[in-house]
Amino acid sequence: MAETHSLQDLQQPAVSSKVFIQRDYSSGTICKFQTKFPSELESRIGKQPFEETIQTLNNLYAEAEKLGGKSYLEGCLACLTAYTIFLCMETHYEKVLKKIARYIKDQNEKVYAPRGLLLTDPIERGLRVVEITIFEDRSIGSGR
Amino acid sequence: MLGGSSKSGGRGPSSSPLPHTVIQTSRPLRPSRYVPVSAATFFLVGSTTLFFCFTCPWLSERFSVAVPIYNGVIFLFVLANFYMATFMDPGIFPRAEEDEDKEDDFRAPLYKTVEIRGIQVRMKWCSTCRFYRPPRCSHCSVCDNCVEDFDHHCPWVNNCIGRRNYRYFFLFLLSLTAHILAVFGFGLLFILYHRQNIDRLHAIVTLAVMCVAGLFFIPVAGLTGFHIVLVARGRTTNEQVTGKFRGGVNPFTNGCWKNVSHVLCSSQAPRYLGRKKCVRNVCVQPPFLRPQLTEIQLAAKILDNGIQGDLHRSRSSLEMMESQSCDSEPPPPPKPELRYPGITRGNTEECSLLNKAPPTPTMYKYRPTYSPGKNHTALTHAYANQLSRGESLGNAKDSSSSTSSLLQASQQPGFCSQPSLDRDDASDRTPGGRERSEGSREAGGGGGIPGYSLGGHSYPSFSDPTVLSGVTSGTSSSTHTSAGAVHISEATTSASFKSLANQTPPPHHTSRNGSLSYDNLLAGTSYSSPFLSSQQRDAELHSQSPHHHHHLTNPHHRFLHRSASSTPPPHPPTPEREHLLALPPPHHHHHHHHHHHSHHHHHHSSSSSSTSRPPRFSTPHLPTRHGYPYRTRSTDAPLGSTSTTHPAHSPHPPPLGKSLSYSSAAAAEMQYRLVRKASASAGANLSQMKPLSQTNGGQPFFSPSFCSAPSSPSHLLSVSTQPGLAYTGAALQQSPTHKPQGNEVKKVTGLGGTTYEISV
Repeated sequence: MAETHSLQDLQQPAVSSKVFIQRDYSSGTICKFQTKFPSELESRIGKQPFEETIQTLNNLYAEAEKLGGKSYLEGCLACLTAYTIFLCMETHYEKVLKKIARYIKDQNEKVYAPRGLLLTDPIERGLRVVEITIFEDRSIGSGR
Repeated sequence: MLGGSSKSGGRGPSSSPLPHTVIQTSRPLRPSRYVPVSAATFFLVGSTTLFFCFTCPWLSERFSVAVPIYNGVIFLFVLANFYMATFMDPGIFPRAEEDEDKEDDFRAPLYKTVEIRGIQVRMKWCSTCRFYRPPRCSHCSVCDNCVEDFDHHCPWVNNCIGRRNYRYFFLFLLSLTAHILAVFGFGLLFILYHRQNIDRLHAIVTLAVMCVAGLFFIPVAGLTGFHIVLVARGRTTNEQVTGKFRGGVNPFTNGCWKNVSHVLCSSQAPRYLGRKKCVRNVCVQPPFLRPQLTEIQLAAKILDNGIQGDLHRSRSSLEMMESQSCDSEPPPPPKPELRYPGITRGNTEECSLLNKAPPTPTMYKYRPTYSPGKNHTALTHAYANQLSRGESLGNAKDSSSSTSSLLQASQQPGFCSQPSLDRDDASDRTPGGRERSEGSREAGGGGGIPGYSLGGHSYPSFSDPTVLSGVTSGTSSSTHTSAGAVHISEATTSASFKSLANQTPPPHHTSRNGSLSYDNLLAGTSYSSPFLSSQQRDAELHSQSPHHHHHLTNPHHRFLHRSASSTPPPHPPTPEREHLLALPPPHHHHHHHHHHHSHHHHHHSSSSSSTSRPPRFSTPHLPTRHGYPYRTRSTDAPLGSTSTTHPAHSPHPPPLGKSLSYSSAAAAEMQYRLVRKASASAGANLSQMKPLSQTNGGQPFFSPSFCSAPSSPSHLLSVSTQPGLAYTGAALQQSPTHKPQGNEVKKVTGLGGTTYEISV
């Protein structure tokens, strides 16, 4: 006899709402996100983990945009090879972006998904916002 | 270039050399776009090829083989940069998805301000891409994309130059200049050595190549020099050409050396389009963890869910009831987000952005997609309520509710950056400072003043016209009026408010609005009389305004005159009026509503004295004025009806850029002045009711002069983006809270051409 499952149980919970963390332009156009804790997340996650996530992201982006020797050498090499080096080599920024994607995935798995939240990589939004999806909590006794 | 069809917005940029996953709408092929780039390619490659074929062999034999090698390297460099500048994605932003912009278009302001290193920078809403353009981003009409760090659209490479490919463009220019110089120089050398047999083919070809090189050298070198200066100054072509930082400070510069190194040495910026979508395989399943709520958080929650707002509401309504004889309406329902705490309604992308915006008087414009009659009723109503302060604007219920809500609004600590034009959003009372539309006017479905808190404390000007319009609309008790009025008021902030500009409130309402008194009771008594009295006042004003230069540009000025001249008639403040005016001005957080309040008081007291109609506000003096520069604009749009009452009233383009709610604003302002005058000349000649009636066409009710400039000069300064605001602040500071003895009226001219009268 087939067990009957509620369709809802089998699916991902519905999206309740989305929070958008905006860019912090106070220091110029460098990629930095606001660490202000949005009120919609108050009931879902503590301030500390959230701020930590955003701060780490900010640091990573700062590292990506850093004008250091590495980026300079990369530029020179690209120039000398008539930019054909871009066909085989990954730029510094892209490397850091990969790091950021791994970090976000890790945070999602460890911190956000257990709380019914999901971070979206801001690169998918053109580095304009960090999108946090809030999932509906339909567990019994959740009181939502 | 790649087929022109794929260069459509944000999804399939054709300029990136890498394959894209999505190609969106196909745009019509426009061959004319490819003419300049084809010509450039032709001349570049063709001339250089001829140079290599005809000139270089002799040069390499005669001088050294290094000559063609050198030229070859430079030419390769030119080609590589040309290719990158042409085909690289300049930094196109992908279109925002639907959920980023949950708010209705008509409710969102057109601009948002952010503070970058202490400098206010405006971010404009891009209706195509559906987000607020980041600083330095611009929408290219040719490519139909928003481009990051937009420099310009270069027809010679048929591509936008933005963050990602600016370096290649710059290097292309440098290398092209060097290349042209080299070709011209070596060609000249060739010719000099071949003067005798100049008619040889080689010499002729070399001469031709030299001509082409010489012809292109001047514009290319000019452009190169221009961009060298831009790079050194840290500006984009767009910023330079539009004069954004003319005489000002560029917040994006880090010093010459850092600017140059940023252009040349920074890591290649990533592209946003055509990225591999990362597969998210995170499983999100309930039950979910919840944070432990601390007591503080719980307390905050209580505050947040509207209870505090309710408390405020009840408090203010009580006050209102005491002071007014009108019936008051039950408090408006809480804001949507308070109603459903679990659902995020207001927090769209823009909302959170606004929350961060500093309290500067940014120009808040509603987005062009504006649906009249719907959203702004709230605004109108809220404001109308404030203005009328208990006057029945054709609907006792409305007025009372609006007044109370206004009171509450004024007590709100902060401002919600997001305007809420919901009808239901009557009150915004979260301590979090979301100031929402207060007046829940039922008649017009007034949703209360929408986020007057647009971006913080500043946008007072926004509310003023709104209130005016609200009043106007209030009288008619129709959504439609309010919509019109709202349009007007909202148009104040900046010119870009196109849709609002075109609307004017119906004449009927305007005239009603002008009186701003107990219209119901008075049934539109004599608008002429106020007019006359205002004329008297006008005369008076003329005689009295020595110091401040007026800007006799518009009816605004006239209003001032009128209101100023309203002194003579004695006016016994009716007990009713006194009662109303005696509302204790909330000394809390300055709130523009509050200011309106005070202004109302002043205005009305003056105006009331002028007419027989019971004045609405009678407070002789304003309480501590909070610096709320609310309105800066002198709206010029005459109300339809006002023109009848005020023949002299002529429509003027709003001096401050475009505020269209002239009629309502003018009416409001007129009233305000009247009240002020009345209060100024405290016990006596308050004849100002009359001008009120004619305010319809008048100037913005809330002239900045009434802002409590002294108390918060910073506000005024920050608001000084509006020309008149700064002025107003100054003007205000000069005129102390007017004393009961009506002294002379000073006319102060704002930069925008608005004139304010200040009782000294």
